Amino acid sequence: MDIDKYKRIFIQESGKYLQDLNTDLIRGEHDLLNRSLWSDIHGKIHSIKGMARALNLDAVSGLCHSLEGWCKEFQGGTMTPNADAVQVLMDGAELLKGLVAATAEGTAPEASPQLDRISALLAQRPDKLIPQTQPDTHPVSSPSKIDHIRVEYSLIEELLARSQEIILLEKTLPPLSQEQISSGLRGWIDHYMAMLRGLHFQLARLRLMPVQDFVSLFDKPVRDLARNYHREVRLEMVGGELQVDIGLMERLREPFMHLLRNAIAHGIELPDERERSGKSREGKIVFEADKRGDSLVLTVSDDGRGIDQTAIQRYLRGTMGMSDQEISGMPREEFLHTILRVDYSSADATNQLAGRGIGMDVIAKAIQYLSGSLAIQSEPLEGTQFVIKLPLSLSIVYAIVFKIGPYTLSVPTSHVASIERAEATSAEQGGDLYDLWDRLGIHPGTRKSTHILKLRQPPAIDDSIPTEPPPSRFAVDAVIGNMPLMVMPSGELLARAGSFAGVGIMENGDLSILLDMEKL
Amino acid sequence: MDCFVFEAAGKHLGIEARYIYRIADEVRVAPVPLLPSCHVGIIYYRGDLFDVIDVGRLLGKEGRLSDKPSYVILMKWDQRKLGLIPERIAGITWVEDAKATDTVFTKDGLAIHMITPEKIWDTLSELPYGH
Repeated sequence: MDIDKYKRIFIQESGKYLQDLNTDLIRGEHDLLNRSLWSDIHGKIHSIKGMARALNLDAVSGLCHSLEGWCKEFQGGTMTPNADAVQVLMDGAELLKGLVAATAEGTAPEASPQLDRISALLAQRPDKLIPQTQPDTHPVSSPSKIDHIRVEYSLIEELLARSQEIILLEKTLPPLSQEQISSGLRGWIDHYMAMLRGLHFQLARLRLMPVQDFVSLFDKPVRDLARNYHREVRLEMVGGELQVDIGLMERLREPFMHLLRNAIAHGIELPDERERSGKSREGKIVFEADKRGDSLVLTVSDDGRGIDQTAIQRYLRGTMGMSDQEISGMPREEFLHTILRVDYSSADATNQLAGRGIGMDVIAKAIQYLSGSLAIQSEPLEGTQFVIKLPLSLSIVYAIVFKIGPYTLSVPTSHVASIERAEATSAEQGGDLYDLWDRLGIHPGTRKSTHILKLRQPPAIDDSIPTEPPPSRFAVDAVIGNMPLMVMPSGELLARAGSFAGVGIMENGDLSILLDMEKL
Repeated sequence: MDCFVFEAAGKHLGIEARYIYRIADEVRVAPVPLLPSCHVGIIYYRGDLFDVIDVGRLLGKEGRLSDKPSYVILMKWDQRKLGLIPERIAGITWVEDAKATDTVFTKDGLAIHMITPEKIWDTLSELPYGH
């Protein structure tokens, strides 16, 4: 485990919670009996504690534990907060902020007089506080450094469009005279255009957002759904620091809402039922984001009762007319994928209550549009996991761009092991040489075969699913170069070909189609 | 309604003008393999990717096209984007509100076959991809 990576995530995520905590405590000071507010405050401190425990940051987790003790009582109404108690919590939050900052610098103390003072106060009842070497004044916090601003996403889109239009102006440049060229004007224009293209690339990076911000959008809906369905649910995030394209996440917003709604309504059991099965009363939904190779892998898992398999069997028998023998012979993946069928949810009214059929086809369609894939795993009583693998979304990646027939294509540089000149490798005799011309339907007469691209074999996501190995070597007509591409999702029609990972835009504005070698 | 009229496969075709996003010229279409022959490729325009369709070929006319068409009619609707290559652009004309599939006649007696982006999209969706 990369501890430093997780520490960075901890510092980033707890910073956000601490910021909100201050605001909440100020509200709490004026609204002492607002139990839902105390529940929010408790939740934030609890989240910081959980992360700190996982990293063995004892001072941080210990202080969180003391702070949440009071909040729990205020939330439950068993103790009544007062202004002095809120002040102690504020001092505690300030101290917590200092401890987290010290963790970032690697100097987190295990003990300090302030920590002792706050801990001693928190060990008392809030309504019977005896001051412990009370300071004359409480620390006055300074406003945090301004390092982020909010902007409308549409403004970023407009900036990108505008910068591209300026780049396109080059095409309307009138021919230069010999005199103008000798005066250095051509060189100046080339330099200017190169700077503009660089600017366009940097602007494109504004479209990236951390996954955590996306998941935070669901905090409130998850809480509301849990309340409506009388469930106790906690939403956790792993890998929230990953940067992804906002356009991609926007397309996943509705599908994820469906996934979460289904998980809460049909997956997570009622608290009493969970207790009877030996589970904690609180159900857990974990949202995990990870980059594997050049794919973004998003996993949503819950620890509920799993997909109702009898409902699937009933559907397969009733609607699909399958026999019991055929059903039992179905591969597991195919069996579970039944829930993605358009008519699954409406097949049987009982499915609405028992199964996971609501709107699952919406998710499948959204993922298909993004040229992604979906894997479902589910075990009775243990829970369900949806693994969504998406190809390169809008981001800057390096790729080997090459020509083959009339097409400009590319593969991510990280997938390429080597590029060799064709004559040096007796390409035509290579038995494992993949015939890309034939696959792409290009007339063989135009074949030049100047270079051979040798690919690395990508890591398998799920070893249990046997798949054909992707091509390992293929020849191309010409290699254009190794260059950064701004990659966009290929869209609905190109996705139907099932062979592309996206469309790459080169710095000069030309396009290149990214091949998905695993799907060719 | 305002109707954008262009020619393809020997017919005058009309699309409700509100669907037209831009008429792009001087664009280079990047060809894409494994798509139906009427799909000429894609273009990147103002931050969006457009699938570019040769309307003549979509309507069954055969023939070879340049990868540098004079004009591409860009349409954006819902979340979809499509570029159409016409044989010629006739212009915008006013027609009485017509059903999407109707043939309407202008004052000069010109027959215009009305089409919608959705209809074109549906036709494209039925074609084979990936071969």
